Amino acid sequence: MHIPDGFLATPVWATLDAVAAPVVMGMARRAQRGFDESKVPLLGVMGAFVFAAQMINFPVGIGTTGHLVGGALLACTLGPGAATVVMSVIIAIQALVFQDGGILALGANILNMAVIGVLAGYLPFYLWGGGKRRRLAIFAGGALSVMASALLALAELLLSGVRMPAGVLGLSLALFAVSAALEGAITVAVIQALEAIQPGFVRRPETVRPGSAAFGAVGLAAVLLAAIGVMFAAAAPDGIQKLGMQTGIAAHVRTLFATPFSGYETAFLQSAWVRKASAGLAGLALIYAACIGLGRAAAARNRSL
Amino acid sequence: MHHVVVERWSRGSSPLHRRDARAKITALLVFLVVVATAHRDIATLAALLLALLAAAAWRARLPAGGALARAALVLPFTAVFGAVCWLAGDPARGLALVLKSYLSALAVLLLVATTPLPKLLRGLEGMGAPHFLLMVAQFLYRYLFVISEEAQHMRKAAAARAPGWGRAGRGARFRAAAGALAVLFARSYGHAEEIHRAMLARGFGGVFHPLEAPRFGPRDAAFLACACALPVALRLCVERLA
Repeated sequence: MHIPDGFLATPVWATLDAVAAPVVMGMARRAQRGFDESKVPLLGVMGAFVFAAQMINFPVGIGTTGHLVGGALLACTLGPGAATVVMSVIIAIQALVFQDGGILALGANILNMAVIGVLAGYLPFYLWGGGKRRRLAIFAGGALSVMASALLALAELLLSGVRMPAGVLGLSLALFAVSAALEGAITVAVIQALEAIQPGFVRRPETVRPGSAAFGAVGLAAVLLAAIGVMFAAAAPDGIQKLGMQTGIAAHVRTLFATPFSGYETAFLQSAWVRKASAGLAGLALIYAACIGLGRAAAARNRSL
Repeated sequence: MHHVVVERWSRGSSPLHRRDARAKITALLVFLVVVATAHRDIATLAALLLALLAAAAWRARLPAGGALARAALVLPFTAVFGAVCWLAGDPARGLALVLKSYLSALAVLLLVATTPLPKLLRGLEGMGAPHFLLMVAQFLYRYLFVISEEAQHMRKAAAARAPGWGRAGRGARFRAAAGALAVLFARSYGHAEEIHRAMLARGFGGVFHPLEAPRFGPRDAAFLACACALPVALRLCVERLA
């Protein structure tokens, strides 16, 4: 589900862009460090494969067909970091060349499908992929990746104030569930076929450690809860605005950023949106800096381990 | 599927084609932000911005009908949401959704139809995008058509061997499709290794070297100033008059 430009409210797309940029850059740097440079053609060609895979139709019901989305499949074969990079590039190319998804909404789409979608698709495989329930784990990965990204996209739309009657909401949830199950089934079938051709293609997660089942259950529950929670929070009409009004943050921010200009109140700066935009930009810079700081800290911890 | 039509358009020559990619990307971002943050009198603003884009497309010698139709690819998706908003009792928001997404898609199309993708990616790199991602994007775009053609061949071959699938059940068809995808995966993997060996044999050292360095001339600066100022000015005018 690619969100086009014009759908998301400015605070939503701007925040998600500010979060997605450092995340993707960090992932790219990690992928680059982890691989030898022979992987560059590999990642590009596998991205082309995911595009081409959309031409091969899978029968669903009478007269309807579906196709592979690919996040979970890539995560199980190339690893989650590389899969995130490939999916991000795919989403960017779709937005640029095929008018599928927006440019300002790129951050939202990348977070939904390339970051959260791939991680949600990899988590069950990572936890249970080595055990007896391998097929179930792969199925859950495919289904979860589609479900998580669809729910996030829906939540972002609702958060932006796109109103949906309960009937439409229920219908789209049912559609998401069907496509999630389909993606799970396709991922299992393709991975089994791949292992029949050459087992080396599919990664082997380490053997199950004691206690990892509980950890996995907690992790999965967290992913699901986060997605569902965000959605319910968003379903409350204009949630963010109400929150902002109640806490008075919006007013504070406006006065804070309006005062430096108070001596120079030109006609241009009086228009409310310029003022709001400058306040917003300052907020985004803060988020961006926080993300970069967190990424640095995480990287430093990784190195010291 | 041969090269997409945008690719053919982007090889044309016009003042807009010759501008530096960085100037065009910046102008696009300004335009998109102006459209995305608009909230008053959107219909008037949309008409003015559409005229601006149409003028730019005419200057770039793009086929007007083709460009407008191509940008309309975004409409089926947005029209559904527009209709839902309409039914939910918010027709103004529904209209705004459709107008904003169409204008944004047209603006992106204008950038891609006047800038070949390699130049566009190099421009993005000049603006700080990570080199690794852009290399992956170059490879992806280069082999997109190769692998797609392969997928099409496989589909044709399957149709030739089993026209209408006979009495095969859904399960068998599902497994056959999965097998085809697995073979496509393995072939793509093999291609990637061959490509890398061939590139090493030609002395590839991890970086693509452009034939000419992009130059940001005074004309690019003038274009950038105009292209950024016009949408902002139009919006200020519309909001002042409203």
